[in-house]
Amino acid sequence: MAHNIHRLVVALGLALTLGLFAPQAIAQVNPTAQSVTEDALFEALGNGGSVTGRITIPDAHAGQLIAPENRVWAALQGETLHTISIWAVIGMVALLTLFYLVRGKIRIDGGMSGRKILRFNAIERFAHWTLASTFIILALSGLNIIVGRTVLLPMIGEGAFGTLSAWGKIAHNFLAWPFMVALVMIVVLWLIHNIPNKVDMEWIKQGGGLLKKGVHPPAKKFNAGQKLIFWSVVLGGAALSFTGVMMLFPNEVATFADWQFYQTIHALTAAVLSAIIIAHIYIGSVGMEGAFDAMGSGEVDENWAKEHHSLWVEEVKGDTGSKARPHPAE
Amino acid sequence: MARLKFLCDADRCIECNACVTACKNEHEVPWGINRRRVVTINDGLPGERSVSMACMHCTDAPCASVCPVDCFYTTDDAVVLHNKDTCIGCGYCSYACPFGAPQYPQTANFGTRGKMDKCTYCSGGPEPDMSEVEYIKYGSNRLAEGKLPLCAEMCSTKSLLAGDGDIIAEIYRERVVTRGYGSGAWGWRTAYGETVTV
Amino acid sequence: MLVKRRNGDTASTGRLSQMANAVSARPLDRRSFLRASGLTVGGLAALGTLGAGMTRRVEAAEGFTDMSQPIEIRTNICTHCSVGCTVKAEVQNGVWVGQEPAYNSPINRGTHCAKGASVRELVHGDRRIKYPMRKVGGTWERISWDQALTEISEKMTEIRGRSGADSVYLLGSAKFSNEGAYLFRKFAAFWGTNNVDHQARICHSTTVAGVANTWGYGAMTNSYNDIRNSKTVIFMGSNAAEAHPVSLQHILEGKETQRANVIVFDPRFTRTAAHATEYVRFRPGTDIAVMYGMLWHIFENGWEDRDYIASRVWGMDQIREETRAYPPEVVERITGIDGETLRRAADKFANERPSTFIWCMGGTQHTVGTANVRMYNNLLLATGNVGGEGNGANIFRGHCNVQGATDFGLDVGNLPCYYGLGAGAWQHWARVWDVPYEYFVGRFDAVAAKGGRDARTPEQNMEVAGITSTRWFDAVTIDPEDIDQADNIKAMLVFGHGGNTVPRMQDAQRGMDALDLLVVADPHPTTFAALHSRTDNTYLLPICTQFECSGSRTASNRSVQWGEKVVEPIFESDNDYAVIYGLAERLGFADEMFKNYEMVQGKFGMEPTPESVLREINRGGWSTGYTGQSPERLKAHMANQQHFDLVTLRALPDAPEEIRGDYYGLPWPCWGTPELRHPGTHILYNTNLHPMEGGGAFRPRFGLDRDGETLLAEGSWPAGSEIEDGYPQFTYGVLQQLGWDTDLTPEELATIQSIGNNDPEAMAAVSWSLDLSGGIQRVALQHGCVPFGNGKARAVAWNLPDPIPVHREPIYSPRADLVAEYPTREDGRQQRMPNIGLTLQTANLENRVAEQFPIILTSGRLVEYEGGGEETRSNPWLAELQQDMFVEINPADASSRGIVDGGWVWVTGPEGGSRARVKALVTERVGPGVAFMPFHFAGWFQGEDQRGKYPEGTDPIVLGESVNVITTYGYDPVTGMHEGKVTLCQIAAA
Repeated sequence: MAHNIHRLVVALGLALTLGLFAPQAIAQVNPTAQSVTEDALFEALGNGGSVTGRITIPDAHAGQLIAPENRVWAALQGETLHTISIWAVIGMVALLTLFYLVRGKIRIDGGMSGRKILRFNAIERFAHWTLASTFIILALSGLNIIVGRTVLLPMIGEGAFGTLSAWGKIAHNFLAWPFMVALVMIVVLWLIHNIPNKVDMEWIKQGGGLLKKGVHPPAKKFNAGQKLIFWSVVLGGAALSFTGVMMLFPNEVATFADWQFYQTIHALTAAVLSAIIIAHIYIGSVGMEGAFDAMGSGEVDENWAKEHHSLWVEEVKGDTGSKARPHPAE
Repeated sequence: MARLKFLCDADRCIECNACVTACKNEHEVPWGINRRRVVTINDGLPGERSVSMACMHCTDAPCASVCPVDCFYTTDDAVVLHNKDTCIGCGYCSYACPFGAPQYPQTANFGTRGKMDKCTYCSGGPEPDMSEVEYIKYGSNRLAEGKLPLCAEMCSTKSLLAGDGDIIAEIYRERVVTRGYGSGAWGWRTAYGETVTV
Repeated sequence: MLVKRRNGDTASTGRLSQMANAVSARPLDRRSFLRASGLTVGGLAALGTLGAGMTRRVEAAEGFTDMSQPIEIRTNICTHCSVGCTVKAEVQNGVWVGQEPAYNSPINRGTHCAKGASVRELVHGDRRIKYPMRKVGGTWERISWDQALTEISEKMTEIRGRSGADSVYLLGSAKFSNEGAYLFRKFAAFWGTNNVDHQARICHSTTVAGVANTWGYGAMTNSYNDIRNSKTVIFMGSNAAEAHPVSLQHILEGKETQRANVIVFDPRFTRTAAHATEYVRFRPGTDIAVMYGMLWHIFENGWEDRDYIASRVWGMDQIREETRAYPPEVVERITGIDGETLRRAADKFANERPSTFIWCMGGTQHTVGTANVRMYNNLLLATGNVGGEGNGANIFRGHCNVQGATDFGLDVGNLPCYYGLGAGAWQHWARVWDVPYEYFVGRFDAVAAKGGRDARTPEQNMEVAGITSTRWFDAVTIDPEDIDQADNIKAMLVFGHGGNTVPRMQDAQRGMDALDLLVVADPHPTTFAALHSRTDNTYLLPICTQFECSGSRTASNRSVQWGEKVVEPIFESDNDYAVIYGLAERLGFADEMFKNYEMVQGKFGMEPTPESVLREINRGGWSTGYTGQSPERLKAHMANQQHFDLVTLRALPDAPEEIRGDYYGLPWPCWGTPELRHPGTHILYNTNLHPMEGGGAFRPRFGLDRDGETLLAEGSWPAGSEIEDGYPQFTYGVLQQLGWDTDLTPEELATIQSIGNNDPEAMAAVSWSLDLSGGIQRVALQHGCVPFGNGKARAVAWNLPDPIPVHREPIYSPRADLVAEYPTREDGRQQRMPNIGLTLQTANLENRVAEQFPIILTSGRLVEYEGGGEETRSNPWLAELQQDMFVEINPADASSRGIVDGGWVWVTGPEGGSRARVKALVTERVGPGVAFMPFHFAGWFQGEDQRGKYPEGTDPIVLGESVNVITTYGYDPVTGMHEGKVTLCQIAAA
């Protein structure tokens, strides 16, 4: 029995071996006539296809011979994003100027009370300012990448612009890290205060009281407008962080197309967020009396607080054990 | 004024890599930087064709349009060159280039690529022609000596053509008519928005 | 005028920009920044130094050409393959600063391949051996040339005293110049051994044997350029696109303009196949059956050239008879090629003429290599495709001077110019060298009777072919009874030869370890310097490349080209001439050996000028027509390259008088003295031309008749011949019979008298190849006759094994079913060594080796590397392009073994548990059941990285496993060629 099986195996093996070299009627192979052509190849690849082949040098990207789609990204980057970025910034600045001219500085209706309430403690302010300062440099250096050549270069000349851009790139790559740390910090510190609730609906209905003097919809620690800023910063920042990290580690990003996608998201998000932050800076400084103190000294005037964050003031005053307890002015 | 181009006749290319080492030799290009390379399509199959590729010196060069520091410039011969003093090594051009031309001293992460290097069509850079500083930064300047790029001059089968676009297109066209086949002017449509029709 | 700066720079408006421009007008590089200490400039410009280091591509601009300084142009020849591309070097202050396209060369017309385009690196190479070294207690230490040569010659003398002259093996090189090769052969003669060989053994020795035995000379019949005339081109076992890239310029242009058929027979779909009009895959090692398969259709359909066969070929009927044993179904069973495909190929080859047949190592490196070659020849002869434009046996040789080194007898069986080893040959060269014949007899060993073989006197020993380079390690370790010389090999002098180019590297390693003395003379440390674990008596001599010395080299098409020294030898390296002289001097025969040369002061001592060595060659190389190529003529050709026609290689009528009418490089035979102004021979055996214009006929060197049939041509003679029929070779006696002896000048007659000792009978026997005056050649040519005669080619070579070739399975055959039917030849003894091929093949069948090792392994070249590869793997421009040793494996075989593209695999071989760790390249380039590995790698040995074994700083950039660790036993019975193209292996994921 075993003997038979053995014979069967040998026979099968022999058949396989013979099969391997068995005469097969092969059609004529004419490599010249069968040559691939560029036209046929692109037709077969369809839209967005790129021609790739084998290459011996150990560079994963070198095997890509022709990638016409890169030109699409180049146009997007060189033209569309360039325009969007410029308009996002100019547009927001124009809008705010208009707003300022119409509404003027938003004053504290009740005037300064002289009493201060601690609104943001040192840790909060550290997180905010780290985030803010890095963002500004990142935004400026990033913006420079997109629009610098048409805006800054004609002003300061090639040499200075080149040097500035080189430093800008380094600053961008390194300051991204404190930015991300600060971003995490503000999430931890403020997430709980930024969950949307019913109060926000009312605030929004009343336009945040920004448009009309004397209107002060109630708000907790953060009103809906601030929540909007918070979420814009958190989500936008997260998007920027993720895409930024991907761009910083191109070897870990699978393909050129992926990188291009991340870059596009990065630039678009940056443009939108920059516009939002310009508005944020406006309202936190020249736009509203008393607002800067919240992040400056950390203490705000009680009247300002009552007008803009009535519910929060109530909360704080009710909580006698809190460090945020109001105390008389000197 | 001539409009200089490259054309690789893939029906002549045998992937001998002479263009690659001629380039290395002429410009002392260091290890890891490949201004020119040869890619084989359908490797090992009937229909296989190899194509030598470097910077094609595109019309409306996409690298130039994305460069944040505007370091690219196009010469009167339509050669796309760049200024290494201005280059910040951001890598954008490498993503814009359809041909994989831009090269960097390092492939490291964290934006530490170093200054971009690419095919100069053997015509140096913004430094004075044939100066040592030009050689060190960009390699030799054959065009200024009245010579064409060495890769094409040394191509073993005269597959890689360099010179005025109209002339090399005509040479290619004649070849296709003579032999009755041609796999196309690889990359021309992408680089120049036109191809060689026979 | 090229305007490169940006026009209309926009950056010049505004005060800020002006200020910034002022400080940053010229960004600084790091050096000038450091010089200025960052204090002389401020602002953003100072910051501009950031990353300036990255701006600098190279620290030292050694390739920079300073246009204000004078540039010297030197021409030399590429030192890689045999195409013979001219290299144009720009030299400034003794430094090779640039390589320019050599447009004037009719061979390469400015072009190069990857290797040729990077040769400048060879003389800048920081991986070169920098000074002589020896191994002491396992450590490399630096010594002087004098010490090295003195110690080596003392040890050689000591070994000679103990074991005889034959125990020193002299392995030469195809990288020698002609003069170097000739001197090395002469050195062996003065030392007293025929154990002298070089790379031709392992590339085209079977070609030389097969071709010379068919029609006279062992060389390419036509030229690369002439293939432009071909209407059908067959490549068989030749991947010229990678091995001879510049030849493809001629072939592809020919293919285009002639709309030629290009048919590639290869187990592997090569880069050459990619440009074919028909690719035919077949099983490795079945060439003979393929040829019979084509001949079957040719004879069946009457496509043979009957007139040609009748007038110029002997024995074709016997081949026709044998063809009956190979009908299409049999051929298909053996080769895997269907009958229809072969019919199509045969039809084109026979009917769309002129047709040329090109082969390389795919055909030659087999146990049946010589027989393969003879079958290729038979296909050519049957279709009348030898001896005209666009046809012929175009044998693409491997190294830059493998043709020349072969011509000058770096061969165990020949003195220079194929004179053989007979007493007549020794006497001829003794006359040329002006040394008594008896001197050489005194230098050779007597061999005692042993192993049932008769004893030999020194005089007899002089005439016995030496041991081939494929077997040297066996000759070290074999039982002394089994080696047919006084003692085993004890010392190896290896000049310019890799140690990884021959199969069975495990055995080679054992051989290296067992030697008493190992000397490696090379620009780079080869595997001979690193594979073994020797601790002492091992020397490394830094030899310069051919770019650092002058001399001539012979390309594959027999054109001889003069190379000019480009730069002085770098580091402490020195040229071959000086080193050979230095050894001869210390061994005591320099005065005799070098007496005919002009000696000059070299780098470390005296050396002969290559011109004077070539002049001696001119005085002795009558048999091959190496007599007309004087240094002056060769130099004139190099200086006037632009005057030679691209297709005919002939200098045009408007060329300067000194070269007018010559064929480029005076391809041999270039008959007579230089003064005769024979133009050289572009196409061998071409009866369409007058012999004085390069015409010829097949050489009758095997007698005048056979089996009652004449071996002289019938009804065929070269144009202008006064003898309108076949005729034998010319001797003084023949001239006398024809009454042409009166055409000899008194000086010529005096020389003939002197050679014949004034004895009329001896004088009558003085032939065209022994007449040192060249008079016999001159007179024959004057009457339109070829000096060597006008004979028939032999389809059947009765003096060789298998006079009528038959298919024989490889020793490691995957086809158990065919081995019994087509076994390899019986065991025997060749070149002093036993050959046990059949014993091994039988054992393999019994042990079912093909079941354990089911994949056929074949090997070949990569374009970036050459030979053993140490030189090219040390060149960063090339090494970067091929950084890993690999095995090509078919996707079917890979997937069934779980092997992925780029993954590591172990390739194991059937001998000695051999194994190699390499990367997998999964590709349909190879068929199922076939794997391919390139042969240029070394430095890893069965998984062990041997980088530490190279002297510090000389290790090649890229190391890898050698295919020849896996390849196996098997030797051609005629030439000792190894079986490099068919063995069996198994592959598993690592």
